[in-house]
Amino acid sequence: MKMKTKLLFLTLGLGLTFMLSCTKYPPQSERLLEDLAIITQYDTKIDFNNYKTYSIAASIIKITSKDTITLTPSESAKFINQIETNMNNRGFTKVAPTESPDFGIQVVYYQNTYVYAYYGGYWGYDWYGYYYPYYPVYYSSYSAGLANIELVDLKVFQPGSSTRYLRWNAYIRGLLTGSHSDAELLHTIDQAFVQTPQLKTSAQ
Amino acid sequence: MKKIFSLLFIFFVTLTALKAQEPTLPGFQPASYYTFYWNTAFPMGDFNDWVSQPSPAGFGFSGRYFLQKGLAAGFDFGWHRVSKIYDDETFTIPDKGLAITAENYRFTWMIPFQAVVAYHMIPEKTISPYVSLGIGGDYMEHRLMIQEYDIYETFWDFSLTPEVGFLARFGAFSEWGAQIGFNYKWTTNRIELYQTKSEHLQMLNLKVGISYLIR
Repeated sequence: MKMKTKLLFLTLGLGLTFMLSCTKYPPQSERLLEDLAIITQYDTKIDFNNYKTYSIAASIIKITSKDTITLTPSESAKFINQIETNMNNRGFTKVAPTESPDFGIQVVYYQNTYVYAYYGGYWGYDWYGYYYPYYPVYYSSYSAGLANIELVDLKVFQPGSSTRYLRWNAYIRGLLTGSHSDAELLHTIDQAFVQTPQLKTSAQ
Repeated sequence: MKKIFSLLFIFFVTLTALKAQEPTLPGFQPASYYTFYWNTAFPMGDFNDWVSQPSPAGFGFSGRYFLQKGLAAGFDFGWHRVSKIYDDETFTIPDKGLAITAENYRFTWMIPFQAVVAYHMIPEKTISPYVSLGIGGDYMEHRLMIQEYDIYETFWDFSLTPEVGFLARFGAFSEWGAQIGFNYKWTTNRIELYQTKSEHLQMLNLKVGISYLIR
């Protein structure tokens, strides 16, 4: 093969290689969906100073693609305690569910790929019964584990009504990607509070 | 900026001195030449704040036509992309009460197109150094990806690109050669994404290409 022909092929080969690499999105952009992320949203129309007490479900609800189970209090303790610590640090007081708490907190852990599941929660209502005072963060799918911490307003709860008012929630996602130590997972709970400085009360 | 022009000036003076000393060798001045090149971009200034790492993801095609001895005019266009993944950062949208802490991907891809005037100091020689100035524009798309959130904006701009480099033929009479160029690019492009505000994006580019010469 002549030198000129070789060079021509070389040029065409290089050109083709570069053209194929000419994609809009850089490599690894899909991996963002699988990394650990903390996403929070609160109701900007309420004043948290009007709330003082909360009660928290002692167990985490775990939803897989096959079923819904409730983890035991001992399995859930580390994470529930971390939420309690943060709530207490923000000025809220934990009370028993029978003492008419202002907020109810529940943690749901999704292990399935898609989150379109119906579940019955600790506070006795289902996903579709919530009223979001804001536009909830929308996800089309999850592929690597998601925990959702929900803060429900029980002060405005009307007995007999299926509507619940969600004032704050935190999504922690990417829990099944790679390996995360307990310290890292507990840090994500702290971070959820850190990035919501509005969630605090001075009510006595 | 001053440093770059000083370097360009020193380069030009050195090459002119070399030209005066070089003995006459056989060769030819091409009527024109075309180069397909691979480009590595080094974002500078505000652009470096946006994506703080060089990117070899780029290519381009250029052509130059000799108008008279040493003086050439032509074109240059291509495709470049700079990108980087940043570790956990917190992004907030206060009016929606929303906050996200996650890794984020920032990238800009661009389509540059320029008219070029070049001066080759010894166009008939095997190694032919040149200085050039490109004047034209870019189409740039800036993107910020946080989880499934994909925020972007696009801008057209005006750009100036002074460049130094050389064309090295693979033999005194070869129609094939390599071109290596190094340029500084100034644009009127800007980034106004989320909390990033950058103006007059600038970058350095290293071009390595294969050239075809026409007699």
